[in-house]
Amino acid sequence: MTMLFCCFTFYGLAQNQISGVVRDEAGEPVPGANIVEEGTSNGTISDANGRYSLLVQDDATLVFSFIGYVNQIIKVGGRSVIDITLAENVEVLNEVVVIGYGTEMAEKISGSVSLVDTKTIKDIPQVSIDQLIQGRASGVMVTQNSGQPGSSVSVRIRGINSINGSSEPLYVIDGIPVSGDSRNLSSSGISTAGAGIGEGSGAADVSPLAALNPNDIKSVVVLKDASATAIYGSRGSNGVVLITTKKGQSGKARLNYSTFFALQRPTNAYNLMNLQEYATLQNTIGEIYELPTIAEFSQPQLLGTGTNWQQEIFDDAFMQNHQLSLSGGSEKHTYYISGSFVDQEGTILGSGFQRGTIRANLNADINDRIRGGFSIGATRSKEQIALSNSPQGLISLSLLNPPSIAVRNPDGSFAGPITAEEIAFGIRNPIAEASNIRNDLVRNRILGNLFVEVDIIEGLTLRAEAGGDFAFNNTDQFQPTFSYGSIERGTNVAISRRENTDFWILKQLLTYTKAFDKHEMTLLVGHEAQESSYNGIRAQDGNFIGNDFPILGTGNDNDVLPPQYKGSNALESYLARAIYSFDSRYNLTASIRRDKSSKFAPGNRVGYFPSVSASWRLSEEAFIGGFNALQDIKVFGGYGVVGNQDISNFAFGSTLRPVNTGIGTGFEFQNFSNEALTWESSTQVNAGVSFTAFKSKLSATIEVYNKVSKDFLFQFAPNDAVTGGISPGSVTPPWVNIGEMQNKGIDITLGYSDEIANRITWNSTLTVSHYKNNVNRLLGDTPILGQVELLDAPKNISFTREGQALGLFYGYVVEGLFRSLDDIQGAPIQFGRPFENALFGTTWLGDVKFKDINGDGVVDGNDRTVIGNPHPDFTFGFQNSFSWKNFDLSIFLQGSYGNDIFNAVGRTLTAGNRTYTNQLPSVLDYWSVDNPNASSPRLARNDTQNINISDRYVEDGSYVRIQNVTFGYSLPSAILEKLSVQRLKIYTSIQNLYTFTNYSGYDPEVGAINQNVLLNGIDNGRYPIPRTFTLGLNVEF
Amino acid sequence: MKKQYKIRTFLLVLALMTAFSCEEEFFDRPPEDSFNAAGFYQTTEEVEVATRGLYLRPWFDFISNTAWVIGEIASGNARTYDPRNADFVNFAVNSNHQNVARTWTSLYAVVAQSNAIINTLPGSVGAQVPQEVVDNAIGEARFMRAIAYFYLVRIYGSVPIIANNTEAIQQLELERNPIDDVYRFITLDLEFAIDNCFEKIRSTSNYIENAHVTSGSAKALLAKVYLYQEDYTMAYQLADEVISSGEFKLFGGDAEDGDPNGSYYGLFQTANDNNPESIFAIQWGTSGQFAEGNSLQSLFAQAGLTGFADGWGALGPSLDLQEAYEDNTQDVRFYATIQAPGAFYPDINGGYTTAADIDLHDTKAGVKKYVIGTPDDDGGGAQQSYPNNTYILRYGELLLIHAEAAIMGGGSTAQGTTSFNKVRRRAGLNDIINPTIDDIFEERRIELAFEFEFWYDVVRRGEAFAVDFLSNTERGIFTDTDPPQVDSRKFAATADDLLYPYPTTELQKNPGLSKEPVPYNFDN
Repeated sequence: MTMLFCCFTFYGLAQNQISGVVRDEAGEPVPGANIVEEGTSNGTISDANGRYSLLVQDDATLVFSFIGYVNQIIKVGGRSVIDITLAENVEVLNEVVVIGYGTEMAEKISGSVSLVDTKTIKDIPQVSIDQLIQGRASGVMVTQNSGQPGSSVSVRIRGINSINGSSEPLYVIDGIPVSGDSRNLSSSGISTAGAGIGEGSGAADVSPLAALNPNDIKSVVVLKDASATAIYGSRGSNGVVLITTKKGQSGKARLNYSTFFALQRPTNAYNLMNLQEYATLQNTIGEIYELPTIAEFSQPQLLGTGTNWQQEIFDDAFMQNHQLSLSGGSEKHTYYISGSFVDQEGTILGSGFQRGTIRANLNADINDRIRGGFSIGATRSKEQIALSNSPQGLISLSLLNPPSIAVRNPDGSFAGPITAEEIAFGIRNPIAEASNIRNDLVRNRILGNLFVEVDIIEGLTLRAEAGGDFAFNNTDQFQPTFSYGSIERGTNVAISRRENTDFWILKQLLTYTKAFDKHEMTLLVGHEAQESSYNGIRAQDGNFIGNDFPILGTGNDNDVLPPQYKGSNALESYLARAIYSFDSRYNLTASIRRDKSSKFAPGNRVGYFPSVSASWRLSEEAFIGGFNALQDIKVFGGYGVVGNQDISNFAFGSTLRPVNTGIGTGFEFQNFSNEALTWESSTQVNAGVSFTAFKSKLSATIEVYNKVSKDFLFQFAPNDAVTGGISPGSVTPPWVNIGEMQNKGIDITLGYSDEIANRITWNSTLTVSHYKNNVNRLLGDTPILGQVELLDAPKNISFTREGQALGLFYGYVVEGLFRSLDDIQGAPIQFGRPFENALFGTTWLGDVKFKDINGDGVVDGNDRTVIGNPHPDFTFGFQNSFSWKNFDLSIFLQGSYGNDIFNAVGRTLTAGNRTYTNQLPSVLDYWSVDNPNASSPRLARNDTQNINISDRYVEDGSYVRIQNVTFGYSLPSAILEKLSVQRLKIYTSIQNLYTFTNYSGYDPEVGAINQNVLLNGIDNGRYPIPRTFTLGLNVEF
Repeated sequence: MKKQYKIRTFLLVLALMTAFSCEEEFFDRPPEDSFNAAGFYQTTEEVEVATRGLYLRPWFDFISNTAWVIGEIASGNARTYDPRNADFVNFAVNSNHQNVARTWTSLYAVVAQSNAIINTLPGSVGAQVPQEVVDNAIGEARFMRAIAYFYLVRIYGSVPIIANNTEAIQQLELERNPIDDVYRFITLDLEFAIDNCFEKIRSTSNYIENAHVTSGSAKALLAKVYLYQEDYTMAYQLADEVISSGEFKLFGGDAEDGDPNGSYYGLFQTANDNNPESIFAIQWGTSGQFAEGNSLQSLFAQAGLTGFADGWGALGPSLDLQEAYEDNTQDVRFYATIQAPGAFYPDINGGYTTAADIDLHDTKAGVKKYVIGTPDDDGGGAQQSYPNNTYILRYGELLLIHAEAAIMGGGSTAQGTTSFNKVRRRAGLNDIINPTIDDIFEERRIELAFEFEFWYDVVRRGEAFAVDFLSNTERGIFTDTDPPQVDSRKFAATADDLLYPYPTTELQKNPGLSKEPVPYNFDN
């Protein structure tokens, strides 16, 4: 038959001799690659130098394939030389994947594991890996909480797993666990960025991953289901992200230099009132409050436009990045060393981020039986932190500051409020504050891991690891003497903070592997012990001589903050895992881990976390032989239990807090105790199928899961009367184990790669994630309320109750305005305020008409209902890469659909009851007898109900963002050879190019206020993410 | 054979690995930067310092944000343009107002801290600590709890009584208790404090010794509480006992129970904190930390006076109050309470002259009481955190309680009149031979102006009186004409305005606040 076919082809059509070289992306020749003429069995294999030659027909199509690389399909089109570069395929089967405490062939994995394609993110100008994985893996929802350079992001793996403050995953960097929680909830409880001048919920927390240079990362693997994460036991409930840094490869030494320069530009601005509009508003509101008239405002039309505070606080910002790496090795030794520097200015005055890193990864085979190596990275970063995300933050101050106040006086000094009334309600000059107040955070960090591996007997390997993560953080804050308007900062203050965080981990792992006949098995038993401690000192001084040398001790105030905070916690674990595989068809994994934690009282310390999972590769079965439509079919599923212990140490007990009193040091009770406190746990069932189709051009993985978490570790008191709420001197609520919550979801990953036109290849990955969150059990009818500090007062905005999703927005429903006496006739009384024409204490024409939800004839606190849902219906990421000859183009779209945003900034900007505060121009379209069809309510005094938390402020937060477009050109090999350069690529990109959204604020990607899961989707003056234009270069020698 | 060898090797290595296993001490991690509450109170010193925390931080939000807004602005002693606090000028405060939330949490923080000591100390105190030291500490805590409830009941009326927060922390709904039960609870606390706190005589030289409350402090406060319940006999008797004990002295004046070295003005100088007139005062610290110091002058002073960005001039003395002084020159309290244009204060900032055009909130004046100047001149501190005490109760008021109880039929009118005139003479005024209840009302207004009492004095005279008085108080401004004219503003109060609403944030959490009050069970 073959003979016949050959004869047929031989005689049937014109023949053509094709030759060329197969290379990988690094330009290295690929020996052993398959080159097959499509639709035939005609083929060959590349030689040791990657060369091949093959006789094919003129109109033939060639398929180039090699394990671990994306197939390349090329039409010959009359050419005789075809050089091919194969792209590594991280999603492809037959690849070794890093799993917890080991590696596994991808085809045999039975848990839910997502790989992030690090190739597609390497040219993106982000400083931290957590920002880069946005939209790159299904089931992983990443939102950037702030545009502050170096600030934290929220990473949610498969929905929100806990009502506990942090729902962030555990990161494991080269075997070292690093918490994703930026607020240090599980250690000191003191945010690395906070404490001191500018303290408050608004200080954007800093990312724990900002210490890692993304260019050093080789692979990012996300373990999503409990069967994959159970091996991380007590710390795996929010998912685990395994990050592996680059290793050297045997062969020729390579020197790589990459750099980019970027310009960051604010994307959009609020259209606020100009001076004329503001003066008009102020005149009217002044009458309502019976304020003295402002002579300057008597004829608004004669005024100019005034100060545009947004323009003053935002500015274009520059960013540059340089990285140099050297790698290579012999058969027995490999090395990878690198150094990098990034300097990112913030688009808000006074914010910025600089980081230098060095890394050395070495591996050596001592002899046939003993291997060793280490990976170590050192980082120094410096951040200039701007206060945002708070009513007192620079963004809010810029939005609210009236255009009537200049930034500076004619003599160059800062301007500000003058009159007593302006001062009483004064909005601080944000430019003065940003320019004068210094808040620098320097972080030094060394993170490293050392291992020795011994083959004891055949198949039995003992591996010992010692790892550490040591950080030293310096915060220096200084507020000089300065003045603006009538406001004097007559005394300067300096605060310094020095904080050590130390972490070490010791592991002993024993692995036994055995293969016989078609059976393969791997047994792992291990023990590990880890300790984490922190020790910080804070000091304050003030009233220095001048502003030039604010050295602690030289000032006249010797004021000491609670000077020291320290603590530690310990964890010991035993783990065991068995992986069994029969004929690569049936794969079974079972694991169990026992954790003992110092975070709980004796008797509650131990937790057991088991898991089991299995996969079945259908396509390996004989009975499926005739079925070709799909290939590489695998079905898999698993079950597992994981825990959570992310609380501070000694949370079960009660401590005393020292207080400086006028009569000597005293003490206050810090918190309520709860000796019964124990593990939070999460049980997850996962089922999935993966396959390829259309000759492996299309790949698909579809997974569904059901996750039930319970006994949340939550700091809770039912009401403020028992604790004192947020008052100074209150007793903080006890940590309790409460509730049960369910997340059901589906994760879809689709990949496609093809030649879509003459020599143009297209690689595409679409990830879609959906989850549905439901709180099964909580406190009966009692909800948990999420409170946010707004400009007027703290307000309960979110609401978590049994039978509903976590953190829904809760408030009143607005039916419109009372526009005429007919509207008032028979309308329900609103908040007990009579219908009467008065400046305060009544409801009258022009007021908001709230809906009587419960139909009892009056509107009061019982008429609140769910007004918004911050959870998206789905989120997605869509990566597209095109290449043609030496050009490549990458387009990345990302978005979210169906989530609501509570626009707290918009609420403040339309309050219509504030004096000396700027507003949106829509406020001027207020109701009056002369303007009955107004869009805004009447202007009112402070006691107005119009600004109640209601659906007036809830907006659709859906968006599609062109997150990144990169266009690159690699120099052809002919030129490279002349330059003695292996590879040279230049590229340009635009990050955050455009966002399609109906949201009226700066940016629909709001995230959670400092990662708090109860405060999702609330925009309280978030630092917006800029648009970034980049020009970059990668060169390799 | 070979298989056995493998298994043995495997087990041997496994056994070696378990050698690394951790001892139990590895997991015992007590707090390293604070005391474990469970192990405290082992020594006399530990018990003695335990109550100090009750003297400041939990009070901070109430004193800083609300005490003066209710006591002075709502009562009509002061006025403001500040839109937030203007709601108190015109009786437009509703549940959403930030101040009703801050009052609630602050006063209940005092309750929580007091209860922590009341309920923990007896069970965990070291055996060698003398019983009287323990009793005194619990007495101090019950005094604090009593005064917190005294404010709560006067501001909100019926409130939940929490005697043990550790038990209450489990309850999803807290029922509120009737006003009478709250008063009975306060009385029991103060009777305990009278019986268990130390008795002492206030030092006239080493003032710091006078800082802690004593049995006499509790007696004085209980006299005031009886006044509110119109039990004039008990009020008189307790006030009389306090006077006869000789524990406290009037700071200044010529009374036999007075300290001639002092003066009314001197009461409010930091150096004179805890002078013998002080019965109970908030003991702010010098650390400059937020909530550890007094922030009143930040709000009262005009810009530039404090040396910091504070000095917000948040209120001005009302025209009504300025009119209420019998004589602005003869009554030394005017100078000590109100800053008139051009007034000179030698002790502030090395000599401070009030601006000639001072005109806070169009009152042609500013507030002086609790304004002390920069930290350099007055004992340290920092912006919003100054060290000067805030009086809650002082002997001057006790004398007026004595007088009022007497005149209302609780005791000797002659003795009461004597007490009354001691206060007047210290102020530089002449005696009133037969003072009436209205005289005492006016005297209290002036003596205690800007010490946040006047609102409660108005309200306790009864609904009809209070509504009439508040509705007719002049809350207007001086015009900029020469001479200034009164641009009158008056706002009608109703009976509902005499108590403040529960905060919205708490109403949303605790359904018990929307239900009828339930009698408190005094048996457990």
